[in-house]
Amino acid sequence: MRTIRLLVAKDLRLEWRTREITTTVGLLALLLVIVLAAVRPEPAAAASAMWVTYAFAATLGFARAFALERDHLTGLRLAGTDGGAVFLGKAVVNWVLLAVVQAVSLPAFGALFTEAALARAGALAAPLVLGGVGLAVVGTLFGGLIVQARLREALLPLLLLPVALPVLIAATSATAALLDGASLRAIGPQLQLLAAFDILFATASWLLFEFVLEE
Amino acid sequence: MRPLLAAATLLMLVGIAWALLAAPTEVFQGLPQRIMYLHVPAVVTAYVALLVVFVGSVLFLWTRQARWDRLAHSAAELAVLFITATLVSGAIWGRPVWGTWWSWDARLTTTLVLWFIYIGYLIVRAWAPGSRGARAAAVIGIVGVLDIPLIHWSAIVLRTLHPQPTVFRPEGPALPASMLPPLGVNLAAFLTLFVALLLLRVRQERMLARLVEQLEAA
Repeated sequence: MRTIRLLVAKDLRLEWRTREITTTVGLLALLLVIVLAAVRPEPAAAASAMWVTYAFAATLGFARAFALERDHLTGLRLAGTDGGAVFLGKAVVNWVLLAVVQAVSLPAFGALFTEAALARAGALAAPLVLGGVGLAVVGTLFGGLIVQARLREALLPLLLLPVALPVLIAATSATAALLDGASLRAIGPQLQLLAAFDILFATASWLLFEFVLEE
Repeated sequence: MRPLLAAATLLMLVGIAWALLAAPTEVFQGLPQRIMYLHVPAVVTAYVALLVVFVGSVLFLWTRQARWDRLAHSAAELAVLFITATLVSGAIWGRPVWGTWWSWDARLTTTLVLWFIYIGYLIVRAWAPGSRGARAAAVIGIVGVLDIPLIHWSAIVLRTLHPQPTVFRPEGPALPASMLPPLGVNLAAFLTLFVALLLLRVRQERMLARLVEQLEAA
Protein backbone atom coordinates (compact mmCIF):
# COMPACT_ATOMS: atom_id res chain seq x y z
CA MET A 1 0.00 0.00 0.00
CA ARG A 2 2.84 2.35 0.93
CA THR A 3 4.70 1.36 -2.25
CA ILE A 4 1.67 2.22 -4.35
CA ARG A 5 1.28 5.58 -2.59
CA LEU A 6 4.95 6.41 -3.12
CA LEU A 7 4.84 5.44 -6.79
CA VAL A 8 1.71 7.50 -7.39
CA ALA A 9 3.14 10.50 -5.51
CA LYS A 10 6.40 10.30 -7.46
CA ASP A 11 4.67 10.20 -10.86
CA LEU A 12 2.16 12.91 -10.01
CA ARG A 13 4.90 15.18 -8.64
CA LEU A 14 6.93 14.62 -11.79
CA GLU A 15 3.90 15.44 -13.91
CA TRP A 16 3.05 18.47 -11.77
CA ARG A 17 6.53 19.91 -12.29
CA THR A 18 6.82 19.24 -16.03
CA ARG A 19 3.11 19.12 -17.00
CA GLU A 20 4.26 17.26 -20.11
CA ILE A 21 1.43 14.78 -20.48
CA THR A 22 -1.41 17.03 -19.30
CA THR A 23 -0.39 19.83 -21.66
CA THR A 24 0.03 17.73 -24.79
CA VAL A 25 -2.90 15.38 -24.15
CA GLY A 26 -5.17 18.17 -22.89
CA LEU A 27 -4.48 20.26 -26.00
CA LEU A 28 -5.03 17.24 -28.24
CA ALA A 29 -8.37 16.61 -26.52
CA LEU A 30 -9.48 20.23 -27.07
CA LEU A 31 -8.38 20.04 -30.68
CA LEU A 32 -10.40 16.86 -31.17
CA VAL A 33 -13.49 18.41 -29.60
CA ILE A 34 -13.22 21.34 -32.01
CA VAL A 35 -12.66 19.15 -35.08
CA LEU A 36 -15.53 16.82 -34.18
CA ALA A 37 -17.85 19.75 -33.37
CA ALA A 38 -16.97 21.51 -36.62
CA VAL A 39 -18.03 18.42 -38.56
CA ARG A 40 -21.21 17.60 -36.66
CA PRO A 41 -22.21 19.98 -33.85
CA GLU A 42 -25.52 18.21 -33.00
CA PRO A 43 -26.36 17.11 -29.44
CA ALA A 44 -26.93 13.57 -30.78
CA ALA A 45 -23.24 13.32 -31.67
CA ALA A 46 -22.03 14.50 -28.25
CA ALA A 47 -21.64 11.12 -26.52
CA SER A 48 -19.67 9.47 -29.33
CA ALA A 49 -17.50 12.60 -29.75
CA MET A 50 -16.71 12.50 -26.02
CA TRP A 51 -15.57 8.89 -26.03
CA VAL A 52 -13.62 9.22 -29.27
CA THR A 53 -11.75 12.09 -27.61
CA TYR A 54 -11.10 10.15 -24.39
CA ALA A 55 -9.93 7.07 -26.30
CA PHE A 56 -7.47 9.18 -28.31
CA ALA A 57 -6.24 10.99 -25.22
CA ALA A 58 -5.85 7.67 -23.41
CA THR A 59 -3.78 5.98 -26.11
CA LEU A 60 -1.47 8.98 -26.37
CA GLY A 61 -1.11 9.56 -22.62
CA PHE A 62 -0.72 5.92 -21.57
CA ALA A 63 2.11 5.32 -24.00
CA ARG A 64 4.07 7.98 -22.09
CA ALA A 65 3.50 6.54 -18.62
CA PHE A 66 6.00 3.74 -19.09
CA ALA A 67 8.31 5.56 -21.47
CA LEU A 68 9.17 7.55 -18.35
CA GLU A 69 10.20 4.33 -16.64
CA ARG A 70 11.88 2.52 -19.53
CA ASP A 71 15.41 2.98 -18.23
CA HIS A 72 14.47 2.61 -14.58
CA LEU A 73 12.36 -0.55 -14.64
CA THR A 74 15.33 -2.52 -13.35
CA GLY A 75 15.67 -0.02 -10.54
CA LEU A 76 12.03 -0.47 -9.62
CA ARG A 77 12.51 -4.23 -9.61
CA LEU A 78 15.66 -4.06 -7.50
CA ALA A 79 13.88 -1.84 -4.99
CA GLY A 80 11.81 -4.91 -4.17
CA THR A 81 8.47 -3.63 -5.43
CA ASP A 82 6.20 -6.39 -6.70
CA GLY A 83 4.54 -6.30 -10.11
CA GLY A 84 1.06 -5.85 -8.71
CA ALA A 85 2.05 -2.69 -6.82
CA VAL A 86 3.74 -1.15 -9.88
CA PHE A 87 0.60 -1.92 -11.89
CA LEU A 88 -1.76 -0.32 -9.38
CA GLY A 89 0.49 2.74 -9.02
CA LYS A 90 0.70 3.31 -12.77
CA ALA A 91 -3.02 2.63 -13.27
CA VAL A 92 -3.96 5.22 -10.64
CA VAL A 93 -1.70 7.83 -12.26
CA ASN A 94 -3.08 7.06 -15.72
CA TRP A 95 -6.63 7.32 -14.44
CA VAL A 96 -5.96 10.65 -12.70
CA LEU A 97 -4.49 12.11 -15.90
CA LEU A 98 -7.45 10.84 -17.96
CA ALA A 99 -9.89 12.23 -15.38
CA VAL A 100 -8.19 15.64 -15.63
CA VAL A 101 -8.63 15.55 -19.42
CA GLN A 102 -12.29 14.53 -18.99
CA ALA A 103 -12.96 17.32 -16.51
CA VAL A 104 -11.16 19.98 -18.57
CA SER A 105 -12.87 19.04 -21.84
CA LEU A 106 -16.39 18.79 -20.40
CA PRO A 107 -17.06 22.56 -20.68
CA ALA A 108 -15.98 22.41 -24.33
CA PHE A 109 -18.52 19.66 -24.99
CA GLY A 110 -21.10 21.74 -23.14
CA ALA A 111 -20.38 24.81 -25.25
CA LEU A 112 -20.06 23.14 -28.65
CA PHE A 113 -22.47 20.18 -28.50
CA THR A 114 -25.10 20.31 -25.79
CA GLU A 115 -25.51 22.19 -22.53
CA ALA A 116 -26.68 18.96 -20.96
CA ALA A 117 -22.99 18.00 -20.71
CA LEU A 118 -22.62 20.61 -17.96
CA ALA A 119 -26.11 20.53 -16.49
CA ARG A 120 -25.87 16.77 -15.93
CA ALA A 121 -22.19 16.69 -14.96
CA GLY A 122 -23.04 15.03 -11.62
CA ALA A 123 -24.77 12.04 -13.21
CA LEU A 124 -22.22 11.89 -16.04
CA ALA A 125 -19.50 11.31 -13.46
CA ALA A 126 -20.70 7.67 -13.15
CA PRO A 127 -19.95 6.54 -16.73
CA LEU A 128 -16.95 8.88 -16.99
CA VAL A 129 -15.28 7.43 -13.89
CA LEU A 130 -16.20 3.77 -14.52
CA GLY A 131 -15.25 4.02 -18.20
CA GLY A 132 -12.08 5.96 -17.42
CA VAL A 133 -10.98 3.31 -14.92
CA GLY A 134 -11.57 0.59 -17.55
CA LEU A 135 -9.44 2.43 -20.13
CA ALA A 136 -6.73 3.14 -17.55
CA VAL A 137 -6.56 -0.49 -16.38
CA VAL A 138 -6.24 -2.05 -19.84
CA GLY A 139 -4.07 0.83 -21.08
CA THR A 140 -1.64 0.36 -18.19
CA LEU A 141 -1.41 -3.39 -18.76
CA PHE A 142 -0.69 -3.01 -22.49
CA GLY A 143 1.49 0.07 -21.97
CA GLY A 144 3.75 -1.99 -19.71
CA LEU A 145 3.61 -4.93 -22.10
CA ILE A 146 4.97 -3.08 -25.11
CA VAL A 147 7.28 -0.57 -23.43
CA GLN A 148 10.32 -2.26 -25.01
CA ALA A 149 8.70 -3.06 -28.37
CA ARG A 150 9.41 -1.22 -31.56
CA LEU A 151 6.64 1.11 -32.80
CA ARG A 152 4.96 1.08 -29.40
CA GLU A 153 3.00 4.28 -30.05
CA ALA A 154 1.33 2.54 -33.00
CA LEU A 155 0.90 -0.77 -31.15
CA LEU A 156 -0.89 0.58 -28.10
CA PRO A 157 -4.14 1.72 -29.80
CA LEU A 158 -4.10 -1.46 -31.90
CA LEU A 159 -4.22 -3.55 -28.72
CA LEU A 160 -6.13 -1.22 -26.41
CA LEU A 161 -9.08 -0.26 -28.60
CA PRO A 162 -10.41 -3.76 -29.46
CA VAL A 163 -10.00 -5.05 -25.90
CA ALA A 164 -11.56 -1.89 -24.45
CA LEU A 165 -14.43 -1.92 -26.95
CA PRO A 166 -16.96 -3.10 -24.31
CA VAL A 167 -15.99 -0.05 -22.23
CA LEU A 168 -16.40 2.31 -25.17
CA ILE A 169 -19.77 0.82 -26.21
CA ALA A 170 -21.25 0.76 -22.71
CA ALA A 171 -19.89 4.18 -21.72
CA THR A 172 -21.00 5.86 -24.95
CA SER A 173 -24.48 4.40 -24.67
CA ALA A 174 -24.75 5.41 -21.00
CA THR A 175 -23.46 8.92 -21.74
CA ALA A 176 -25.89 9.35 -24.65
CA ALA A 177 -28.82 8.26 -22.47
CA LEU A 178 -27.84 10.68 -19.68
CA LEU A 179 -27.45 13.59 -22.09
CA ASP A 180 -30.91 12.68 -23.39
CA GLY A 181 -32.32 13.16 -19.90
CA ALA A 182 -32.44 9.54 -18.70
CA SER A 183 -32.06 8.82 -14.99
CA LEU A 184 -29.08 6.97 -13.48
CA ARG A 185 -31.40 4.05 -12.82
CA ALA A 186 -32.15 3.71 -16.55
CA ILE A 187 -28.49 3.14 -17.41
CA GLY A 188 -28.05 0.44 -14.75
CA PRO A 189 -27.13 -2.31 -17.27
CA GLN A 190 -24.37 -0.20 -18.84
CA LEU A 191 -22.93 0.74 -15.44
CA GLN A 192 -23.00 -2.92 -14.37
CA LEU A 193 -21.06 -3.88 -17.50
CA LEU A 194 -18.50 -1.12 -16.89
CA ALA A 195 -18.05 -2.17 -13.26
CA ALA A 196 -17.69 -5.84 -14.24
CA PHE A 197 -15.04 -4.92 -16.85
CA ASP A 198 -13.12 -2.78 -14.34
CA ILE A 199 -13.09 -5.48 -11.68
CA LEU A 200 -12.24 -8.37 -14.03
CA PHE A 201 -9.40 -6.59 -15.82
CA ALA A 202 -8.00 -4.89 -12.73
CA THR A 203 -7.69 -8.33 -11.09
CA ALA A 204 -6.30 -10.04 -14.19
CA SER A 205 -3.77 -7.25 -14.86
CA TRP A 206 -2.70 -7.14 -11.22
CA LEU A 207 -1.98 -10.89 -11.39
CA LEU A 208 -0.33 -10.81 -14.83
CA PHE A 209 1.86 -7.76 -14.27
CA GLU A 210 4.59 -9.79 -12.63
CA PHE A 211 5.24 -11.39 -16.05
CA VAL A 212 4.98 -8.07 -17.86
CA LEU A 213 7.85 -6.46 -15.94
CA GLU A 214 10.30 -9.32 -16.24
CA GLU A 215 13.50 -8.64 -18.12
CA MET B 1 0.05 -35.58 -39.09
CA ARG B 2 -0.02 -36.65 -42.74
CA PRO B 3 -2.87 -39.14 -42.13
CA LEU B 4 -4.73 -36.35 -40.33
CA LEU B 5 -4.40 -34.05 -43.35
CA ALA B 6 -5.66 -36.85 -45.59
CA ALA B 7 -8.58 -37.50 -43.26
CA ALA B 8 -9.43 -33.78 -43.18
CA THR B 9 -9.39 -33.62 -46.99
CA LEU B 10 -11.60 -36.68 -47.32
CA LEU B 11 -14.06 -35.48 -44.68
CA MET B 12 -14.23 -32.06 -46.28
CA LEU B 13 -14.95 -33.48 -49.74
CA VAL B 14 -17.70 -35.69 -48.34
CA GLY B 15 -19.08 -32.88 -46.19
CA ILE B 16 -19.20 -30.31 -48.98
CA ALA B 17 -20.70 -32.77 -51.46
CA TRP B 18 -23.34 -33.76 -48.91
CA ALA B 19 -24.11 -30.13 -48.05
CA LEU B 20 -24.40 -29.07 -51.69
CA LEU B 21 -26.04 -32.10 -53.30
CA ALA B 22 -27.87 -34.22 -50.72
CA ALA B 23 -28.95 -31.87 -47.90
CA PRO B 24 -32.48 -30.43 -48.22
CA THR B 25 -32.99 -26.84 -49.38
CA GLU B 26 -34.26 -24.58 -46.61
CA VAL B 27 -37.75 -23.20 -47.39
CA PHE B 28 -37.27 -19.52 -46.43
CA GLN B 29 -33.59 -18.85 -47.06
CA GLY B 30 -33.17 -21.05 -50.14
CA LEU B 31 -29.71 -21.98 -51.40
CA PRO B 32 -27.66 -19.42 -49.35
CA GLN B 33 -28.60 -21.41 -46.25
CA ARG B 34 -26.08 -24.06 -47.37
CA ILE B 35 -23.30 -21.64 -46.35
CA MET B 36 -24.22 -22.68 -42.80
CA TYR B 37 -22.40 -26.00 -43.41
CA LEU B 38 -19.12 -24.07 -43.64
CA HIS B 39 -19.91 -21.11 -41.40
CA VAL B 40 -20.83 -23.03 -38.24
CA PRO B 41 -17.85 -25.44 -38.38
CA ALA B 42 -15.52 -22.48 -39.04
CA VAL B 43 -16.73 -20.54 -36.02
CA VAL B 44 -16.68 -23.58 -33.71
CA THR B 45 -13.12 -24.34 -34.83
CA ALA B 46 -12.12 -20.69 -34.33
CA TYR B 47 -13.31 -20.74 -30.72
CA VAL B 48 -11.59 -24.08 -30.09
CA ALA B 49 -8.41 -22.45 -31.41
CA LEU B 50 -8.87 -19.50 -29.04
CA LEU B 51 -9.25 -21.93 -26.16
CA VAL B 52 -5.97 -23.59 -27.17
CA VAL B 53 -4.29 -20.14 -27.25
CA PHE B 54 -5.61 -19.45 -23.74
CA VAL B 55 -4.49 -22.78 -22.30
CA GLY B 56 -1.11 -22.57 -24.07
CA SER B 57 -0.55 -19.01 -22.80
CA VAL B 58 -1.42 -19.87 -19.19
CA LEU B 59 0.82 -22.95 -19.25
CA PHE B 60 3.67 -20.95 -20.82
CA LEU B 61 3.58 -18.24 -18.16
CA TRP B 62 3.31 -20.88 -15.47
CA THR B 63 5.94 -23.42 -16.60
CA ARG B 64 8.21 -21.21 -18.78
CA GLN B 65 8.51 -24.04 -21.30
CA ALA B 66 8.85 -22.74 -24.87
CA ARG B 67 6.73 -25.56 -26.26
CA TRP B 68 3.56 -24.09 -24.72
CA ASP B 69 4.37 -20.78 -26.34
CA ARG B 70 4.80 -22.50 -29.72
CA LEU B 71 1.42 -24.18 -29.25
CA ALA B 72 -0.30 -20.88 -28.38
CA HIS B 73 1.38 -19.03 -31.25
CA SER B 74 0.39 -21.66 -33.83
CA ALA B 75 -3.16 -21.81 -32.52
CA ALA B 76 -3.44 -17.99 -32.66
CA GLU B 77 -2.52 -18.00 -36.35
CA LEU B 78 -5.19 -20.62 -37.03
CA ALA B 79 -7.71 -18.74 -34.90
CA VAL B 80 -7.25 -15.68 -37.12
CA LEU B 81 -7.62 -17.90 -40.21
CA PHE B 82 -10.87 -19.51 -39.04
CA ILE B 83 -12.30 -16.23 -37.72
CA THR B 84 -11.64 -14.73 -41.15
CA ALA B 85 -13.47 -17.66 -42.78
CA THR B 86 -16.36 -17.13 -40.36
CA LEU B 87 -16.64 -13.40 -41.06
CA VAL B 88 -16.41 -13.79 -44.85
CA SER B 89 -18.87 -16.70 -45.09
CA GLY B 90 -21.25 -14.91 -42.72
CA ALA B 91 -21.19 -11.73 -44.80
CA ILE B 92 -21.83 -13.67 -48.03
CA TRP B 93 -24.81 -15.36 -46.34
CA GLY B 94 -26.07 -12.14 -44.79
CA ARG B 95 -26.30 -10.22 -48.08
CA PRO B 96 -29.13 -12.34 -49.63
CA VAL B 97 -30.81 -13.41 -46.39
CA TRP B 98 -30.70 -10.27 -44.23
CA GLY B 99 -30.23 -7.87 -47.13
CA THR B 100 -27.00 -6.55 -45.60
CA TRP B 101 -23.35 -7.65 -45.47
CA TRP B 102 -22.96 -6.63 -41.87
CA SER B 103 -24.98 -5.85 -38.75
CA TRP B 104 -23.87 -4.87 -35.24
CA ASP B 105 -25.28 -8.01 -33.72
CA ALA B 106 -23.70 -9.46 -30.57
CA ARG B 107 -22.19 -12.51 -32.26
CA LEU B 108 -20.87 -10.58 -35.27
CA THR B 109 -19.40 -7.83 -33.11
CA THR B 110 -17.70 -10.32 -30.79
CA THR B 111 -16.17 -12.26 -33.67
CA LEU B 112 -14.92 -9.11 -35.42
CA VAL B 113 -13.36 -7.71 -32.25
CA LEU B 114 -11.66 -11.05 -31.56
CA TRP B 115 -10.21 -10.90 -35.07
CA PHE B 116 -8.63 -7.52 -34.21
CA ILE B 117 -7.35 -8.71 -30.82
CA TYR B 118 -5.61 -11.77 -32.26
CA ILE B 119 -4.22 -9.82 -35.23
CA GLY B 120 -2.73 -7.61 -32.51
CA TYR B 121 -1.36 -10.77 -30.86
CA LEU B 122 0.41 -11.73 -34.10
CA ILE B 123 1.72 -8.18 -34.64
CA VAL B 124 3.23 -8.11 -31.14
CA ARG B 125 4.94 -11.41 -31.93
CA ALA B 126 6.30 -9.98 -35.16
CA TRP B 127 7.55 -6.72 -33.64
CA ALA B 128 8.84 -8.01 -30.32
CA PRO B 129 10.58 -11.30 -31.03
CA GLY B 130 12.21 -13.47 -28.41
CA SER B 131 11.11 -14.24 -24.89
CA ARG B 132 9.78 -10.72 -24.26
CA GLY B 133 7.44 -10.96 -27.26
CA ALA B 134 6.39 -14.44 -26.18
CA ARG B 135 5.43 -13.19 -22.69
CA ALA B 136 3.63 -10.15 -24.09
CA ALA B 137 1.70 -12.36 -26.51
CA ALA B 138 0.76 -14.79 -23.72
CA VAL B 139 -0.73 -11.92 -21.71
CA ILE B 140 -2.75 -10.79 -24.76
CA GLY B 141 -3.86 -14.38 -25.41
CA ILE B 142 -5.25 -14.60 -21.88
CA VAL B 143 -6.82 -11.12 -21.87
CA GLY B 144 -8.47 -11.74 -25.25
CA VAL B 145 -10.35 -14.80 -24.02
CA LEU B 146 -11.37 -13.05 -20.76
CA ASP B 147 -12.81 -10.28 -22.95
CA ILE B 148 -15.17 -12.60 -24.92
CA PRO B 149 -18.13 -12.52 -22.47
CA LEU B 150 -17.76 -8.75 -22.00
CA ILE B 151 -17.73 -7.97 -25.72
CA HIS B 152 -20.77 -10.20 -26.18
CA TRP B 153 -22.56 -8.53 -23.26
CA SER B 154 -21.75 -5.04 -24.55
CA ALA B 155 -23.17 -5.83 -27.99
CA ILE B 156 -26.34 -7.25 -26.41
CA VAL B 157 -26.72 -3.91 -24.63
CA LEU B 158 -27.04 -2.54 -28.17
CA ARG B 159 -29.25 -5.12 -29.99
CA THR B 160 -29.30 -8.55 -31.64
CA LEU B 161 -30.35 -9.82 -35.08
CA HIS B 162 -28.36 -13.07 -35.60
CA PRO B 163 -30.35 -16.35 -35.73
CA GLN B 164 -30.47 -17.95 -32.31
CA PRO B 165 -28.37 -21.12 -31.94
CA THR B 166 -30.13 -24.08 -33.52
CA VAL B 167 -27.59 -26.81 -32.77
CA PHE B 168 -25.66 -26.12 -29.57
CA ARG B 169 -28.38 -25.31 -27.04
CA PRO B 170 -29.44 -26.88 -23.77
CA GLU B 171 -32.75 -28.27 -25.10
CA GLY B 172 -31.01 -30.24 -27.88
CA PRO B 173 -30.69 -29.40 -31.57
CA ALA B 174 -33.64 -27.68 -33.30
CA LEU B 175 -32.12 -28.12 -36.75
CA PRO B 176 -34.01 -30.63 -38.99
CA ALA B 177 -32.54 -34.13 -38.63
CA SER B 178 -31.61 -34.26 -42.33
CA MET B 179 -29.31 -31.22 -41.91
CA LEU B 180 -27.40 -32.57 -38.92
CA PRO B 181 -25.24 -35.30 -40.55
CA PRO B 182 -23.69 -33.05 -43.26
CA LEU B 183 -23.07 -30.38 -40.62
CA GLY B 184 -21.45 -33.00 -38.37
CA VAL B 185 -19.19 -34.23 -41.19
CA ASN B 186 -18.10 -30.68 -41.99
CA LEU B 187 -17.49 -29.91 -38.34
CA ALA B 188 -15.34 -33.04 -38.05
CA ALA B 189 -13.51 -31.99 -41.23
CA PHE B 190 -12.74 -28.48 -39.92
CA LEU B 191 -11.61 -29.73 -36.51
CA THR B 192 -9.38 -32.39 -38.09
CA LEU B 193 -7.90 -29.79 -40.43
CA PHE B 194 -7.27 -27.53 -37.42
CA VAL B 195 -5.46 -30.26 -35.49
CA ALA B 196 -3.40 -31.21 -38.56
CA LEU B 197 -2.37 -27.60 -39.29
CA LEU B 198 -1.69 -26.97 -35.60
CA LEU B 199 0.67 -29.94 -35.39
CA LEU B 200 2.34 -28.84 -38.63
CA ARG B 201 2.94 -25.29 -37.36
CA VAL B 202 4.11 -26.46 -33.94
CA ARG B 203 6.58 -28.79 -35.61
CA GLN B 204 7.85 -26.01 -37.88
CA GLU B 205 8.31 -23.68 -34.93
CA ARG B 206 10.13 -26.38 -33.00
CA MET B 207 12.52 -26.96 -35.90
CA LEU B 208 13.05 -23.20 -36.21
CA ALA B 209 13.89 -22.94 -32.51
CA ARG B 210 16.33 -25.83 -32.84
CA LEU B 211 17.99 -24.25 -35.89
CA VAL B 212 18.41 -20.92 -34.11
CA GLU B 213 19.91 -22.76 -31.15
CA GLN B 214 22.44 -24.54 -33.34
CA LEU B 215 23.30 -21.35 -35.20
CA GLU B 216 23.95 -19.58 -31.93
CA ALA B 217 26.05 -22.47 -30.68
CA ALA B 218 28.15 -22.51 -33.86
